[in-house]
Amino acid sequence: MTTLDAPAERTLTLRETGPATRGTRPDEVVIAVSPAFGDPFTQTIVGVPHAEVLRQLMAGIEEQGVGVRVVRVWGTADLAAVSHIAARLSGSGVSVGLLSRGTAMIHQKDLPRLSNLELFPQSPLLDAPVFRAIGSNAAQYAKGQSPQPVPTRNDQMARPRWQAKAALLHLKEFECIRADAGPVELEVTISR
Amino acid sequence: MTAVAPRPTEQARRSLRTEALEARPVNLDGFVEEWPEKGLVAMESDFDPQPSVRVADGVITELDGRARADFDFMDSFIADHAIDVATTEASMALPSVQIARMLIDPGVSRAEVIAVTRGLTPAKVLDVVKLMNVVEIMQGMQKMRARRTPANQAHSTSARDNPLQVAVDAAEGALRGFAELETTLGVVRYAPLVAIALQVGGQVGRGGVLTQCALEEATELELGMRGITAYAETISIYGTESVFVDGDDTPWSKTFLASAYASRGIKMRFTSGTGSEVQMGNAEGRSMLYLEIRCILMAKGAGVQGLQNGSISCIGVPGAVPGGIRAVAAENLVASMMDLECASGNDQSFSHSAMRRTARMLPQLLPGTDFVCSGYSAVPNSDNMFAGSNFDTDDYDDWNTIQRDLQVDGGLRHVREPEVLAVRAKAARVLQALFEHLELPRITDEEVEAATYANSSNDYPFRDVLADLTGAQQVMDRGVTGLDLVRGLEATGFHDVAENLLTVLRQRVSGDLLQTAAVLTADFTPLSAINDANDYAGPGTGYRLQGERWEELKKLRHVTSATDPETEVD
Repeated sequence: MTTLDAPAERTLTLRETGPATRGTRPDEVVIAVSPAFGDPFTQTIVGVPHAEVLRQLMAGIEEQGVGVRVVRVWGTADLAAVSHIAARLSGSGVSVGLLSRGTAMIHQKDLPRLSNLELFPQSPLLDAPVFRAIGSNAAQYAKGQSPQPVPTRNDQMARPRWQAKAALLHLKEFECIRADAGPVELEVTISR
Repeated sequence: MTAVAPRPTEQARRSLRTEALEARPVNLDGFVEEWPEKGLVAMESDFDPQPSVRVADGVITELDGRARADFDFMDSFIADHAIDVATTEASMALPSVQIARMLIDPGVSRAEVIAVTRGLTPAKVLDVVKLMNVVEIMQGMQKMRARRTPANQAHSTSARDNPLQVAVDAAEGALRGFAELETTLGVVRYAPLVAIALQVGGQVGRGGVLTQCALEEATELELGMRGITAYAETISIYGTESVFVDGDDTPWSKTFLASAYASRGIKMRFTSGTGSEVQMGNAEGRSMLYLEIRCILMAKGAGVQGLQNGSISCIGVPGAVPGGIRAVAAENLVASMMDLECASGNDQSFSHSAMRRTARMLPQLLPGTDFVCSGYSAVPNSDNMFAGSNFDTDDYDDWNTIQRDLQVDGGLRHVREPEVLAVRAKAARVLQALFEHLELPRITDEEVEAATYANSSNDYPFRDVLADLTGAQQVMDRGVTGLDLVRGLEATGFHDVAENLLTVLRQRVSGDLLQTAAVLTADFTPLSAINDANDYAGPGTGYRLQGERWEELKKLRHVTSATDPETEVD
């Protein structure tokens, strides 16, 4: 089981600035968050604050000298769909999709929707360093490199502890879907 | 705009008792409140349909409040293939309480109950089992289990996909009593080598053990057709049309797959379980048990002989809601009362609490089921590639002691260390010789020695994975079959193992393993609901743990001798 150090408490502000558009910079990664990310949910299934998740992902991308945009997908909470929509918005074609409970995926626009570059299915095992590594790898793919995949973890006791909560979070996230709303651009402010 | 401020955390003083309780393993388990509108509820939901049936011109025109025009494909399949149209109106007219009482009444035979249950709709079946508490569910299971003699099934896998580990742990598992062994992979390309190792190791431990390899469906079928595996189990079905379609499947496609196995005389069962639909977000507002009952009827309609159920890989979902483990016991009973073989779960990591793990399996162990566990981990859980089981090798002595305490047969027995070492060493040597004969990557003497005394995959020398994967591909490319394995075993001087494997393969010609709940005994007699029908009819009848088998189960690792209390019984 992952032990999480209490991260610094930060405030996350996500302001919608308009419909998400296709990027023109070839050196950018688009992060797409799911409908309930940040509101009403504030943390992943194991309590990593959403502010921390985004901060680490963005830092991981920026450390590679790559630009980052953040969008929210309203129309679905299916991780493959969220990630693929973002990949098609991304100037580099590379995206990171995120569900509120923490499940994440690196996607690329030319891959089939149900495929991916890297998938992180066990949300309870994703902590701040993993999110930073995911950001870093996504940026490296955007630069045309082939990074070593982020090591995946496995915990057989994740099922008894987290499976039902994951189902509950999934159902709640589904309720936040706005089927007729397109993806929107987000301005992200993370402050103490 | 959304803004998320940190939540204040207050540190109130806690009692020392609370701290002690907080530290208990059970508090690492996850529990959630019910949400019936979304199907996050075990078996008592106002949103489940009411039982009803209408028949016109020999066709069911209404099922559980839905007219034929509004049927989804599960309704259509169940109405057209699972429910006996001739008897359904009479069966449905019986009050649920009467059917529930028939289930536990020793004066009513299993056949009489089945004559009624074959005409019931899913909602009616739910209505019946909702009347039963866990003790009544167990009483029902004791009578309704298809095979008279209970059995058990094991997982034999390796965290490194090491075929040698799978072979020797299969051999030990077979020796300890498992009637079926299954494996699966971390790296799927390893499958042909690991499936061969499982098959061969199993036949070293005890002739007649049946093996399967859980894989993507086409490869699983191919290995079965080649005779590298003896049965198939991981053919998943779901209780709602939307989840079925999500997996690019329908009841008809699964039925087609089932008939492919039957065409070659290969035993197979479907897999389903409570919680899968809500886990995938498409429970359509029905309770977990209602949806599982639809799966059970679908399996029956497909004509398969059996079902693995008991939530299986979604056990964390029913395990987290009130009454969830009662619902799991009920789904096992429903499979049995539909005259299907029931491989009854207890095969995935369920709880951090040893007490809770044990309580969860009592409804299957005490009455006995066709396979009490549909995957007891015959390797340490750290090596379990099915993501961990409710029981593993560390629990062998506990399991044997519980059998002895309660005088129940859970399918296992204590085996003395010299015998265990002997079959492990032999299985390793057999696989070594067979790999050499088939020109597969070499197994060294050092590996054989390590395998004999090993506990987990960490105790083995590393193998050359790339060479193994090349060898695995060659097995597929060269079209190696079960018969090639028999030939190789004979050629390398292991006549007895060759004979065992050949006898298992011959079963697919006779088709005896297609009978409900079939297993093979040590002398290769098929034991099924045909020749070992459950004849429980109250105290003193049915399967009783007695005679030679009871003497065997009295043995444990440490029992003080009554003759000479300074020594232990050997």
